[in-house]
Amino acid sequence: MIPINNFLVLSSILFSLGIYGVLARRNAVLILMSVELMLQAVSINFIAFAVYLSPQAFTGLIFAVFVITIAAAEVGLALAIILRLYRNKSTANVDEADMMKW
Amino acid sequence: MGAQEAYLIPALPAAAFVVLLLFGKYLPRGGDFIAIAAIAGAFVLFFPVLADFLDKANGTDFVSAEKSWKWVQFDNFEIRLGFFVDQITIVMLAVVSFVALLVQVYSVAYMRGDPKYGWYFTCMSLFAASMLTLVLADNLLLLYAAWEGVGFCSFLLIGFWWERRSAAEAAKKAFITTRIGDVGFLIGILLLWREAGTFDITEIFDFAERGGFRDADIGGLGLSGNAYLTIAVLFLFAGAVGKSGQFPLHVWLPDAMEGPTPVSALIHAATMVVAGVYMVARMFPLFVLADDIALDVVAALGLITVLMSATMGLVETDIKRVIAYSTLNSLGLMFVALGSGSVTAAMLYLFVHGFFKALLFLASGSVIHATEKQDIRELGGLAAKMPVTAAVFGIGTLAMIGVIPLSGFWAKDEVLHAVDQHRSVVLYMLALISVFVTALYMTRLFVRTFLFEARDRVAWGHSHDAEPLMTLPLVLLAVLTAVGGFVVFGFVGEALGFPGGFGKFVFFEDPEPFDFAWDVAIFSTALAVGGIVTGWYFWSEKAEPARRAGEALQPAYETLRNRYYIDDAYQWVIDRVVLTLGTIVAWFDRNIVNDTAVDGSAGLGLFAGFELKFLETGKLPNYALAIVAGVIGLAVLLLVLRL
Repeated sequence: MIPINNFLVLSSILFSLGIYGVLARRNAVLILMSVELMLQAVSINFIAFAVYLSPQAFTGLIFAVFVITIAAAEVGLALAIILRLYRNKSTANVDEADMMKW
Repeated sequence: MGAQEAYLIPALPAAAFVVLLLFGKYLPRGGDFIAIAAIAGAFVLFFPVLADFLDKANGTDFVSAEKSWKWVQFDNFEIRLGFFVDQITIVMLAVVSFVALLVQVYSVAYMRGDPKYGWYFTCMSLFAASMLTLVLADNLLLLYAAWEGVGFCSFLLIGFWWERRSAAEAAKKAFITTRIGDVGFLIGILLLWREAGTFDITEIFDFAERGGFRDADIGGLGLSGNAYLTIAVLFLFAGAVGKSGQFPLHVWLPDAMEGPTPVSALIHAATMVVAGVYMVARMFPLFVLADDIALDVVAALGLITVLMSATMGLVETDIKRVIAYSTLNSLGLMFVALGSGSVTAAMLYLFVHGFFKALLFLASGSVIHATEKQDIRELGGLAAKMPVTAAVFGIGTLAMIGVIPLSGFWAKDEVLHAVDQHRSVVLYMLALISVFVTALYMTRLFVRTFLFEARDRVAWGHSHDAEPLMTLPLVLLAVLTAVGGFVVFGFVGEALGFPGGFGKFVFFEDPEPFDFAWDVAIFSTALAVGGIVTGWYFWSEKAEPARRAGEALQPAYETLRNRYYIDDAYQWVIDRVVLTLGTIVAWFDRNIVNDTAVDGSAGLGLFAGFELKFLETGKLPNYALAIVAGVIGLAVLLLVLRL
């Protein structure tokens, strides 16, 4: 059996990549994709712990399915917002979307 | 209608006040007929109350009538709103409703054409309602409310012509000065309530008679029950000192003459200023139960007021202010009577004083109305032009001096008799001296106004007796002034349906049948006649002897002209002490409370908001970074705490 540390390291790497993407990218779509990475890193954690800690129960697996569902819904919403942003500003650069400042 | 329905008496003018306040300007003549109808109705209602009260009495054993409603309730403590009729109330009701009616009728002519004619009658109605409530109140709280009500009306009416700065100042002075006494009155009421647990006057008497005032400990000061009661009644008396213009709070009454003359007649002679006397008479059982010092203070302040006001009256030149000093003089005598333990004498004096002092004021109003002068140095010789006014003024003057058989004589003799019997001979002598001085200045007033040559020929030329609407109240009052004193005789009282003379109707504990003391009567008459003769010598013709006397006694004359410098002393205190303290407090309020505390904290919020708003860049990566940094921070914190 693959040791759990491998899964945890993998999910940590994915999560860190996601954080890096959110902080470093300027394109809204790329930020969205980075958020997706972070979400999937969490899903991996759920599944790994579910299998290692309580193989008989499905709790962790069901959570992973929830995360995927919510991620899908979130992407739908976020893409709609990004589309509106692009329509208004002719750009998807988040640095220029600063209308909500003081 | 029984005596229990006496509450309808103040209800009528109160209703008139509400109607006039709301609709006065839409009514013809400012609605004066409503005010007069209401006070006339109150006067008419007085008679069934009186008849019922006398019917229920058995000999000199009277049954007081009461009626009360629940006013306020907190848990098991309730305050009742109640009315109470006893002998003192009956006397006050008679004076207040009758004089108020006459004064309002007189005012129709006196105030005609005034731009605030309707407002005048509105205030008068409110005053009548408050004063009648004050008289009928069965508990101290309602009495206090009515007490402030009449004070407020007095303020409004003294300052009726507030366009004149002096009137506005006088109104303010009257209100503030009486308030000083009123605060004492309120403290007295609360001290009584603290122990007795009720505001009801009769219940407080019962409580005091049971010896309910126990040793109390106030702020670490141990007091015996009696000392506590004494302090409480002295505070009550402070209210009377303010309201009835006794030394040292007498300064407002002469200035109150800035109001229209009928107002002076009603409020500052016949009714409101005697409220203090009434209150002390009403609370008299407590004054008797308290230490002797309580009544000593009442008598002493009364006598000081009598002597000061009488001497100040000697040099005053404003006709109304002289009468104001004579009012202070009379009020002082009433307190001397109370201080000598005679409610009968005080109330008799109050009763007849209501008539002759209202008469003097209304007659002086006629003079002012006719000549538009009120300085007696510019008057003189008016008897030829205004015979009716001169005649009634003469009757009022003689009554004030106390010449037999006018009403003032009987009342003043009762007072002197009480002093003679219950007080030391020194007090008696001083009271007799005051009789002489009273005769002196009243003679001066009459002689300088009505006799000898006119000093202002123009004013004299166009003066004449007033119209019947003003003369009629004068004549009625003059008749009562002349014969009102006969109520002291048993047969007169019985003829009117009373169980006997005044002393068998109004008394404290035991009836005081009229007892004519020849020695007192002879002394006082001799002094009164002596005063008149001396006054005539000083002020007849060109008043040369008076001028020489004034020059010879220059310092005394100056002291009197400056009213014993008491007003100046108060002014000094106000300017130097009160205003200095006020400046300090105002500085503290402006700089510390307002600028630093209130504006400062608001400014801090504003500044912080202004500076901090730049943190809101609106840029997504900044927020994301903050979130991440926060999470990392939390994680580090967790690690550190774990380790």
